[in-house]
Amino acid sequence: MTNITNNEERFMGLTHGQVFVYTLMTVISILFLFITNAYLFRMNFEDWNPVPIPSMLWVNTGSLVLASVGMAWAKSGAKRSSVQTIKVGLIIGGLFAVTFVTGQTLAWQELTSSGYFLTINPANTFFYLITALHAMHVIGGVAAWFYVTLKTFKRDQLILQPESIGLLGSYWHYMLLVWVLLFMLLLTT
Amino acid sequence: MAFVIVATIIVIGTVLWNAVSPWWFTPLASNWGFLDTTIIISLWVCGVAFVAVSGFIIYCVIKFRYKEGHKAQYQPENTKLEVILTVVTTIGVVVLLAPGLIAWNMYIQLPDDALEVEGVGQQWVWTYRFPGEDGIYGNTNGRLFSSKNTFGIDPNDPNGQDDILIRSAEVHLPINEKVVFQLRSKDVLHDFYIPQFRAKMDLVPGQQSNLWFEPTLLGTYEVACAEYCGTGHYAMRGLITVDTREDFDAWLAEQPTFFETLNEGVEGQGKQIAQTLGCVACHSDDGVNGIGPTWKNTFGTERLLDTGETVVIDEAYIKESIVNPVAKIGSGYAPVMPAYATLSEEEIDAITDYIKTLSD
Amino acid sequence: MEQGANYEGQPIHEPTGWWSRYVFSQDHKIIALQYISVALAIGLTGMFLSLMMRMQLGFPGLFESIDAGSYYQDVTMHGMIMVIYLLTALFLGGFGNYLIPLMLGSRDMAFPFVNMLSFWVYFLSVIILVSSFFVESGPTGAGWTLYPPQSILEGTPGGDGAGIILMLASLAVFIIAFTMGGLNYITTVLQSRAKGMTLMRMPLIIWCIFLATFLGLLAFPALLVGAIMLIFDRVLETSFFMPEIFKGGEVLDYGGGSPVLFQHLFWFFGHPEVYIIALPAFGIISELISCHARKNIFGYNMMVWALIAIAGIAFIVWAHHMYVAGMNPYLGFFFATTTLIIAIPTAIKVYNWVITLWDANIKMTVPMLYCLAFLITFLIGGLTGLFLGNVAVDVPLSDTYFVVGHFHMVMAVSPVLALYGGLYHWYPSVTGRMLDDTLGQIHFWITFVGTYLIYFPMHYIGFLGVPRRYYSNDQYDFIPQSVNDLNQFITICALIVGAAQFILLYNFVVSLYKGKEAGPNPWGACTLEWQALESPPGHGNWGEKLPVVYRWPYDYGLPGATADFVPQNVPDEQIT
Repeated sequence: MTNITNNEERFMGLTHGQVFVYTLMTVISILFLFITNAYLFRMNFEDWNPVPIPSMLWVNTGSLVLASVGMAWAKSGAKRSSVQTIKVGLIIGGLFAVTFVTGQTLAWQELTSSGYFLTINPANTFFYLITALHAMHVIGGVAAWFYVTLKTFKRDQLILQPESIGLLGSYWHYMLLVWVLLFMLLLTT
Repeated sequence: MAFVIVATIIVIGTVLWNAVSPWWFTPLASNWGFLDTTIIISLWVCGVAFVAVSGFIIYCVIKFRYKEGHKAQYQPENTKLEVILTVVTTIGVVVLLAPGLIAWNMYIQLPDDALEVEGVGQQWVWTYRFPGEDGIYGNTNGRLFSSKNTFGIDPNDPNGQDDILIRSAEVHLPINEKVVFQLRSKDVLHDFYIPQFRAKMDLVPGQQSNLWFEPTLLGTYEVACAEYCGTGHYAMRGLITVDTREDFDAWLAEQPTFFETLNEGVEGQGKQIAQTLGCVACHSDDGVNGIGPTWKNTFGTERLLDTGETVVIDEAYIKESIVNPVAKIGSGYAPVMPAYATLSEEEIDAITDYIKTLSD
Repeated sequence: MEQGANYEGQPIHEPTGWWSRYVFSQDHKIIALQYISVALAIGLTGMFLSLMMRMQLGFPGLFESIDAGSYYQDVTMHGMIMVIYLLTALFLGGFGNYLIPLMLGSRDMAFPFVNMLSFWVYFLSVIILVSSFFVESGPTGAGWTLYPPQSILEGTPGGDGAGIILMLASLAVFIIAFTMGGLNYITTVLQSRAKGMTLMRMPLIIWCIFLATFLGLLAFPALLVGAIMLIFDRVLETSFFMPEIFKGGEVLDYGGGSPVLFQHLFWFFGHPEVYIIALPAFGIISELISCHARKNIFGYNMMVWALIAIAGIAFIVWAHHMYVAGMNPYLGFFFATTTLIIAIPTAIKVYNWVITLWDANIKMTVPMLYCLAFLITFLIGGLTGLFLGNVAVDVPLSDTYFVVGHFHMVMAVSPVLALYGGLYHWYPSVTGRMLDDTLGQIHFWITFVGTYLIYFPMHYIGFLGVPRRYYSNDQYDFIPQSVNDLNQFITICALIVGAAQFILLYNFVVSLYKGKEAGPNPWGACTLEWQALESPPGHGNWGEKLPVVYRWPYDYGLPGATADFVPQNVPDEQIT
């Protein structure tokens, strides 16, 4: 932000956007914490039948890693004010995020085609619920990505963008972290 | 000034009310007198706090009313005062908490040498099971429930054959003997609550919860459901009769075992079926309309429906109302009855016959 | 990210027409009024439902249309509307929106567009809620706790229809609205304070709203998870919460789930929710009591730390709602202890309020009357909470009328008294006119004495053991006829109190045109919302220059000053 004046008290030198996004991440973390808690509570009951993890999930994890790398690239571009790097980074980050979501739906298809429908067992329901909730948050990120990317490509001047790209990047890394934790939960139980 | 007067009346009234209230604990009939003691301790501690703080407020309002030109004392902090108040409060809290935790520890330690009874809740009736001569309950499973096997007991389990089933709302207990109630529910949450015993515990479908007490007074006590369980919640009433040991033994000997109930014919069992399915929670046999219309003197009469039409209450209407209750709803009643679509023809006939016998 | 609007020298989003000024407004003051209006409207509905309920209890059979089913629907919707859609929305959406920027000396919320969106999403959740009254089997009658299995089965009104689905959907939408609003309040409080407004110079009500928002943001996700899973169980017949169930003569398709899991999720949200409502009420009382007693608030630092302690401990007391719910009984020891510990910071707050009255210069204005009444009802409600929180004492009392009396005293009467005090206090700031004092007095006395007469006797029929949520007591021999007589008395009180609320509405409307001109600072308050150039404050709040803060917000009776108050934006050298 270029035009912060000294006329307002700020918290630990953070920008508005940072406070907003970090608080949002806290709220989302709590959401996944609760679903994880419910999962761990419910799996102790005797009717629990674990789902085989679809192989597609490994591919999807790869996509999400690449998406995160793309965003890191965009962030580094923003630091050096390199418009070209930003653009490439943003495109990679966004496209792989979309790939990830598409991949998740393929994974669901893989599961249903081998008979693991949502309602058959609580483990199945949790699998769909957890992956869907996570995918929805990635889609929310993609909506923000769309907005920022559109702005970036519209005018080649980067007035507001460094902060936005930075926050978008943080959100991408955060989504990757959440996914890795959830994936580990699904793998190990 | 109005505030001072009203507040004073409220504070004095609140305190005095405890001496004159027409509503107070029901007479104690179990070993849980200690729970009453904890309430009394709480009343004293909290009463003192209430009078002290509200008295202080009233005093301030009288003493420090607005005077033009007067300025309030400027005193942002007074650490010493704050520490004292915190310590005093902490002491009050400890005085409350200590007896509470002791009482709770007694409440949840189940005695080993107690009489065991299983309490089973369903919308909106209570039933009970004793483990029988062998002292061991037969295994139960939620999948085995049927209108025939209303306790869901495994018919192949030898321990279950001699289980004694109480398929009515009234159970007897011997006086001055510890009783452990193992509680489970067939459908939704309920709560087994006997005001005179002070004891209370939820029934949770899919799991078992426990409750124990020792009845100390002969008599008949009401069981009230204390966890909201659907439209008929307020009508889910049971009875516990506290007997001498001899009377209790005599009563228990009359009750059927699981083995006997399995071999009962359906015919003539309409009353029993209506009891165990919970029909009686809403449909009385004494002419008083409840959640649903009474069965007394209704067979063959006409009923006004909520559509404004009338229908004659005959075999066909009764059958339809059991299998698909919402088809024709009596005027003034809510469409809340579940469909009993899986009852056999014989069972429906038995219920119909029973309803017929209620008309004279 | 939406750009913050309150930067010096940058044009703020100036509304261009009627629609953007009054409907899709991004001005926090308009959004606050929108929140308040919608919340009060749905709150009136909630009050009407409670009167229906009281009619059945006091005069059973008088209205044939109130059968057991509709009684339970009234109970459920009354509870849900009052807790979530009235009090949470009004305190945070209404008071929060209005006061945060004005009291902190900023131009608007950090993200005005998100703020506007928050209101409209809230409005949508209310529409969904109201629509459930018009579906076939009506709204859900599952009790506001929505405990499965009964909440999603037939045998409970709305359980097999659309009622429960709409209820859960409405909650999910509300949570989204709350999150958008909440992120805004957090960002604004942390980021948009006027120069000199350090955290420890913030008015206590801002601390309260800030912490309540924080509680909400961390607690609502639990409800969201519970609601989503319950919708799954209801619509897709999954078995998160549903064990084997035998109902209607057959075994249902469910199996293996745990109803207690839902209770944990619900109360993990539900207990902090109590504080989401209580903390803003605490805040209002702190402001009002200091201002109208013309004395500094006592122990500001202690108050802030007590608030933080309450907010923290509020997350580890939830299972005190479940002592007899069939959870592991040993958890009772832990939760009873934490619950009684939370009483200590709460008591400190009460002490500090009453010590503020000591050697003060108390003006018996209508807001002050509400404060004093709040102190008494909150004392009763708080002290009876010590009974229920104390695990063994709770056993005979839980799910009786003692509980009804307790939670209405502590989270209905007390917050509403604080709310009314706040409305009388800040009405001049919003409209530039005073509310009529005589009408205010009449409204106060009926509301205070009436509600006391309604809820105080309930504790004693609770001692007797009368269970709550009973449509009728007729079947029980242990409940004497005198309980029904009492119910009649309570119903008459409730009708009078209900009718008296229209005095307030009338006062609102009439004073808008005929009220006494308030001038910029009618109460002589120190906080910034009364120091704006215009009264009421215009768009952007502060004209050209943002205010600068030199002192804490409670300099009433400052030694050395002629006036009995010194506003926050007056530097030491200007004190006369």
